Amino acid sequence: MTEEKKDKNPEIVGFACSFCSFKASEMAGSLRMKYPEGVKLIQVPCSSRVDPAFVIKAIFEGADGVFVAGCHPGDCHFIKGNYYTRRKIAALKEMFNAFSIKNKIRLFWVSASEARRFVEKVSNMYNEIKEAKT
Amino acid sequence: MKTGIFICHCGHNIKHTVDIKRLKEYFKHYFNVEVAEDYPFVCSEPGQDMIKNNVETHRLDRVIIASCTPALHQELFKDLVKKAGMNPFLLRRVSIREHCSWIGDNIEKNTEKAIKLIKAGLYASVHYIPLEEKQVDVTKSALVIGGGVSGLSAALFLSQMGMQVYLVEKEAELGGHVRNLKNIWPARIDGKEIVERMASALLQRDNVEIFTSTTIRSFEGSFGNYQAALDTLEGEKKIIAGGVIVAIGFSPFNAQLKPEFAYGKDERILTTLDFEKGFDRLTLPEKPRIAILYCVGSRDEMIGKPYCSRVCCINALRVAEKVKERYKDSYVESFYMDVRAHPRGGEEYFEDTQEKGVLFTRGNIAEIIPESRGLLLRGEDTLLTMPFEREFDLAVLSIGMSPPLDNQYIASLLKIILDKDKFFLEAHPKIRPYDTALKGIFIAGTCSGPKDIEESINHGRASAIKLYGLLNLGYTFVEPFIALVDTKRCSGCRACEQTCVAKAIKFDESRRVAHVEEAACMGCGLCNSTCPSSAISLKGHLDSYIGDEIGAILEAI
Repeated sequence: MTEEKKDKNPEIVGFACSFCSFKASEMAGSLRMKYPEGVKLIQVPCSSRVDPAFVIKAIFEGADGVFVAGCHPGDCHFIKGNYYTRRKIAALKEMFNAFSIKNKIRLFWVSASEARRFVEKVSNMYNEIKEAKT
Repeated sequence: MKTGIFICHCGHNIKHTVDIKRLKEYFKHYFNVEVAEDYPFVCSEPGQDMIKNNVETHRLDRVIIASCTPALHQELFKDLVKKAGMNPFLLRRVSIREHCSWIGDNIEKNTEKAIKLIKAGLYASVHYIPLEEKQVDVTKSALVIGGGVSGLSAALFLSQMGMQVYLVEKEAELGGHVRNLKNIWPARIDGKEIVERMASALLQRDNVEIFTSTTIRSFEGSFGNYQAALDTLEGEKKIIAGGVIVAIGFSPFNAQLKPEFAYGKDERILTTLDFEKGFDRLTLPEKPRIAILYCVGSRDEMIGKPYCSRVCCINALRVAEKVKERYKDSYVESFYMDVRAHPRGGEEYFEDTQEKGVLFTRGNIAEIIPESRGLLLRGEDTLLTMPFEREFDLAVLSIGMSPPLDNQYIASLLKIILDKDKFFLEAHPKIRPYDTALKGIFIAGTCSGPKDIEESINHGRASAIKLYGLLNLGYTFVEPFIALVDTKRCSGCRACEQTCVAKAIKFDESRRVAHVEEAACMGCGLCNSTCPSSAISLKGHLDSYIGDEIGAILEAI
C-alpha cells in the first residue's frame, strides 16, 4: 500500500431507507451529532430497494465500506421489505466472505428516532475500517 | 440538459462550515450546469423568486437545491418549480445541512463532502423522468382512537365540521383519566364535568359513531381510504376512514418500579391518583404528618424516564392544598428536585401553597420504611447536603406519565413511530407537531408526551383541524413512484410476483409476462431489486440514477 493511500480516509456509502434510517440521519444532523464526513448516504424508499448489484458497484468503484440501513424487523413500512433485505445481504456476505472482504459490508436496523444509534453504528464501522486500512 | 444549482447558506447554518464560494465556483462551469447561484435563504420569498426567475429565463429542465434535508420545504420547492413551468419530479434536493454542515466542523472536509453530494444529485437528475401525480378521491370520515379529552375534542370538532367520525375507546366509559379527577386547577371543576360536557355534545350528533369496549383488530390502506376492522362487543365491524387521530393517552407511572418507596406494601403509601380517589375515605390522626414526593417516575435516568412529566408538580400542589384544607394543623412536607409549576398561574399557585404552611425541602428520598407507628423516610437534603430521617403518617408519591400500554401495538398496526421514551413521535417537533410520518395520521394528547388537560384538548383540536384541512379537499395526489415492467425484457420467472408484499404484481398467463397493478403498488422497489433480468424499474428511483449516484459519491465518474 502506498503512503498516499494510507493517509486517505475511508469512503463509506450507505443506503438508508426513507422511513427509518434516513430519518434518523436527518435527526442526527438536527441534533448536531458528529460523525465522520466519509460516510455518505443514498436515500432509497425501502431497504429492499437495494439491489445487491448496488453494493457490488460501490465496492467496484472504490468504496471502503458499504452499509444498508433499514427499519427494525417487524417495523417495515412496506410490511416485509426488510426481511427480504436481510436475506439478500446474508447471501451477499457469503460471497464477500469468499473474497475475504466480508468486513466491507454491514446491515443494520435503525429506527427514525434512533439518531444516537445511527451515529454509533456508522462511526464504529468507519473506525473499524480505518483501523484495518492502516 | 440545463441544470440550475441553487445553494442555500441557511443563514450561518451552512455558510459557517461549508465554503459556499468554492462550491459555486466548482459547479459554475460544470458539465450540464447552466447556472449556479447561492442565496442566504432560498426558502425565503426573494430566494424563491430567484429560483423561479432563473428557471424561466434559462429555461432550466433540472433544478438542484442544495439546502436543508429533503423532508423540509419539499412541497414548497415542488410548487415553486411547477409554477415556473418545470415538472416537479425533475427537482432534486441535496441535504448539505443535516448531512454535511451540521455533522462536522472541518470546513475543508465539509466542502469536499458537499461537492460530492451535489455531484451525486447532478448525475442522478440526468436520469430523472417527468412524472405526473395521480389524483384520487378521499373518504371524508375520521377514525379517532381514544376517548379521553383530546380524542373527544378532536371528534367533536370534526363532527361539527360535518365529517363522519368513528370514535373508538377500549374502556367501557369515555373520558380517560380526566374522568376521575376532582377540583381541577385552575378552573376548579371536576374532570367528570369536563368529560360529560364533551361526551353529551358528541352523543347528540348523528354523524358520530362511538364504539366503547372496542379495540382495533386490523388496519390497512392509505391516506384517504384507510380500512380498519374493529372488535366491538357486538362482533366485528369494518369501517373506512380518510384519516386517523391517535389519542390513546398515557399510563400512570407504575410506582412499584421504585421498590425503595415500598408502594403496594403499605396502605399508607399512595400515589397521587390513589389519593384523588381515596382521600375522602382516609382515616388520619388529628394533626397528620404527610410527605409528598415529587418526580416519582420522572426525570429519573435510572429507570429510563429522563423526561419531565410536566403535570405532576401541579398535581402535588393540589394534594398539599387538599390536605391543608381538611386538616388545618397538619404538617405537610414536600420533597422536590425542582418545582416546575409551568402553566400560566402555576408559580402563583406554588406561592399560595407555601403561604398555607406547606413546607418544601429540596431533597431526594432514598427510601420509605413502613413501621408500625409511622413511615420512616430517609433521604438527603440537597441544599444542606445533609442526610435526614423523618417520620410521617402518610406518603403521597407524585407519579409521572408513562407511555400508554398499547403504544407498541398501535404503532406497529398503523406503521407509525415511537420516540426513545416510547411516546408517539411527531413528524417535526416545531414545524409539524401534530403529524406523524404518515399522511392523514395525526397524534393528539398525552400519547405524544406529557401534557396537561388544557394542552391535550388543544392538541386534539389542532390535529382535528389539520385532518379536516387535508380531507376537506375531497381528493389527494398519490406519489407516482410505482413499478413498471419492461415486457420485452421480462423472462416470466415470476420472482417478483412472489416477493410483492402489496400483491400488486399479477402474472399475465397469455403473454407470460409480469404486470403491475398501479393502484395497489406501494412503491417499495422490492420487485425492482429482485428481478434477475432487470425488467422492472421503480419510477423515481431508477437503477440508472442510483448507480450514477454511487459513482458520483466515490468520484468514479
